[in-house]
Amino acid sequence: MTEPILRVDGIVKTFGGLHAVNDVSFDVGKGMIVGLIGPNGAGKTTIFNVISGYYAPTRGKVFFKGSDISGLPPYKLAKMGIGRTFQVVKPFPGLSVLENVMVAALCKHPRKHDARQHAWEILEFTGLASRADDAAASLTLPGRKRLEISKALALEPELLLLDEVVAGLNPTEADRTIELILKLRDQGISILVVEHIMRVIMNISDQVVVLNFGQQIALGKPVEVARDPVVIEAYLGEEAA
Amino acid sequence: MLLLPQALVDGLLIGGIYITIAIGFSLAYGVMHIIDFAVGEWIMLGAFLGLYLSQWTQMEPLLLLPVVFIVFGVLGYLFQPVIYRVLSGKKGNPLLMALVFTFGLAIAFKGLGLTVFGFFSRSIPSAMAANSFTFVKGDFFVTIPVIRLIGLVYAIGVTLVLSWILKRTDFGLAIQALAQNKEAAGLMGISAKKTNSWVYGIYVGISAMSGVLIGCMFSISAQMGSKYTVLSFFVVVLAGMGFLAGVPWAAFLLGMVQSFFLIYFDPGYTLLAVFIILYTVLLISPKGLFGKGV
Amino acid sequence: MRRGILAFGLFVGVMALVPAFVQNAFVLRIVTELFMWIVLAITWDVMAGYAGYLNFGHGAFFGAGAYVTAILMMRYGWPFFVTLPVAGLFAGVAAFLAGIPTLRLKGAYFAIATWALALAVQQLALVLDITGGPDGMRLPPFLDPVFFFYLILAVAVATFLLLWVLLEWAPFGLKLKSIREDESGAMALGLNPARIKVQAFILSAVPAGVLGGIYAFWITFIDPASVLADIITDQAMVMAVFGGLGTLLGPVIGAIIVFSFKTIFWAYLSDYQVLYLIILGGGIALTVVFLPNGIWGTIIGHIQGRNALHKGMSLNMPPGRSPVQGADVND
Repeated sequence: MTEPILRVDGIVKTFGGLHAVNDVSFDVGKGMIVGLIGPNGAGKTTIFNVISGYYAPTRGKVFFKGSDISGLPPYKLAKMGIGRTFQVVKPFPGLSVLENVMVAALCKHPRKHDARQHAWEILEFTGLASRADDAAASLTLPGRKRLEISKALALEPELLLLDEVVAGLNPTEADRTIELILKLRDQGISILVVEHIMRVIMNISDQVVVLNFGQQIALGKPVEVARDPVVIEAYLGEEAA
Repeated sequence: MLLLPQALVDGLLIGGIYITIAIGFSLAYGVMHIIDFAVGEWIMLGAFLGLYLSQWTQMEPLLLLPVVFIVFGVLGYLFQPVIYRVLSGKKGNPLLMALVFTFGLAIAFKGLGLTVFGFFSRSIPSAMAANSFTFVKGDFFVTIPVIRLIGLVYAIGVTLVLSWILKRTDFGLAIQALAQNKEAAGLMGISAKKTNSWVYGIYVGISAMSGVLIGCMFSISAQMGSKYTVLSFFVVVLAGMGFLAGVPWAAFLLGMVQSFFLIYFDPGYTLLAVFIILYTVLLISPKGLFGKGV
Repeated sequence: MRRGILAFGLFVGVMALVPAFVQNAFVLRIVTELFMWIVLAITWDVMAGYAGYLNFGHGAFFGAGAYVTAILMMRYGWPFFVTLPVAGLFAGVAAFLAGIPTLRLKGAYFAIATWALALAVQQLALVLDITGGPDGMRLPPFLDPVFFFYLILAVAVATFLLLWVLLEWAPFGLKLKSIREDESGAMALGLNPARIKVQAFILSAVPAGVLGGIYAFWITFIDPASVLADIITDQAMVMAVFGGLGTLLGPVIGAIIVFSFKTIFWAYLSDYQVLYLIILGGGIALTVVFLPNGIWGTIIGHIQGRNALHKGMSLNMPPGRSPVQGADVND
């Protein structure tokens, strides 16, 4: 069996005694898309913050390509090859779109000229090249989400954490973004994706992890999970009803 | 050892006045999240208004406190929209720009003070300034100047009135709602702009009144502003920025530091100690001694 | 860029010729002092404009440098030029040691902390013996205005070039700006904000320290009320804000305008010196309200804005959606 890109092993994260996440374990295999779903406040973003180094886990460990990365700061993880986006998008509003992506590209291309080159390629891939010189603040929400992905990609990551990159987009935009995600998977990038929209998760994920109140209540293929009575009760039930 | 009671009483009395230079400021910070570098200048301007009014009317300056409060309250109320405009600006970093703005104000007010009032130190003559009580018990003795006692009473009065307003009135609840959550307060129909203006008016009014008291106890000059700005920052930071209940404790601590350095150590080291304490507290517990700042 | 280098070379060349044509010691002194302020303004802007941190204690680096040179020359008999690297090094080490804890603070907290620290340094200089306390220190007079003109010009040119290379040409400036824009977001892109901020802090401190050393020898008398005064930071801040934060040329232009104004004002209206403070303070407040990007920032904003608008026309906007409407969806 090959080593998974990401192994989350018994993660517990508490805030002032409250369990935001309690004993969550799953793997992301190479070239796989794993979906993380659950109602609001289920702890999805907390998991993201633990994996990407923004929070240190209270208990449990995170392994990236076999080595223990729990508690390492975000900038080290970014250098190791973990790219993430933020649910509340974080563009650098005063910088141009190109500069935004360049900052990330500098990680693998320390020379400014190379970073600019690489950033251009990314922008062409994600379809933002025409806005390259505009201030990031001038982008609309779809543009900003796309910029988030572009920045994460510019790190040339092996693992991509996407936090609600589809939510809030109109159907056309959403389809374009899903297409983009699949294209990235085909390039061999492993992806962990948090999304509210079930249609998205069920269509693109190889595996789905379901959280509810910080507890992991199911793990499996989308079809299996969708049939799981516990999941239906906790989450899907609302939509089915 | 013989001077210990005096040191404690002095600290308490000076601390009182430090409550009033910081409590309005802390309130304004809690609601608007703005650091006003001009706080010392409002104190200075208030002091001079008190001085001129008492010279002109030949009245006891302490009786003029309400007039000073109203004049500067209105001034602050009218002034606030400008700050609001800077704070809600879209360009650059509005918080930093607001800091720079109040800083510019401080310089301009200082220049104004120097132009109008000159470079000399003055004091506000109060009938209360000459009197003092002296208690003697064995070898121990304590002198309490009446004017400083009045200052302490005034400080406690201001604190009580302010906390009554905050806890018991609709206006106070609106302020608290605004301090806690701007958007939610907006949903509740609280006009952020109006409430901010009132808060800023109250803060400026209190600061100006404190200036008059300072003028009766110590001396005033057009250059006094930055000293009181720093002391005010000291109290507000130690209390926890925006945490009103911490203000009296921090103020008394500052008073004690001052009186103990004056009596037991070299007074030349007082300000050094003040700045070092301020810096150290910021590093160790930026939310203040009680960890309740915002 | 070629035009920029040409203009810069021309400017430095013309400035280098100033002593040949200007025999008036007063005028030479003014121009020398102008270059000093340019250095203070651009180094202050490294933290404020590029990193987004308002340093209210910048003058302390300058004062520390002045005291290092004075103490080494007067108490240990060092030659002047040998003291300058030490002055710069001292400021740099001070920035490193103070920066690590202080730069964890944000916004107003950082501003107050740096102010408190600078005031503490001032008080320290007042009570220490080695600094001469409130009496200050007197250095041996070396009255050669042309020497100091060239020395300070050299420091100004070197500082400007160093900052240009690091902040505009090399990736460092871009990293610093992204930290200014969003510190936690920058972390996800592989940047270590703590480290980069301290580097920037040192970068802003060293030239100020060297300059302080030169100033001490030039003016031949220093005391806490002069080289550690608040007004040094204040003035540098006003110049930088007035010219435009986050650009290299902005603070230079701001320094030239504010300092010229100050000089003229003091030369012709010295009876109304204090009016200068009103104008200075009022000017800065009005700049913040009406020209938040400063003079230079507004000018380049207009130029770029026109370009962007031009490009906006050719953008493939979906039908029925103008760029203006799109802007509403932003937040």
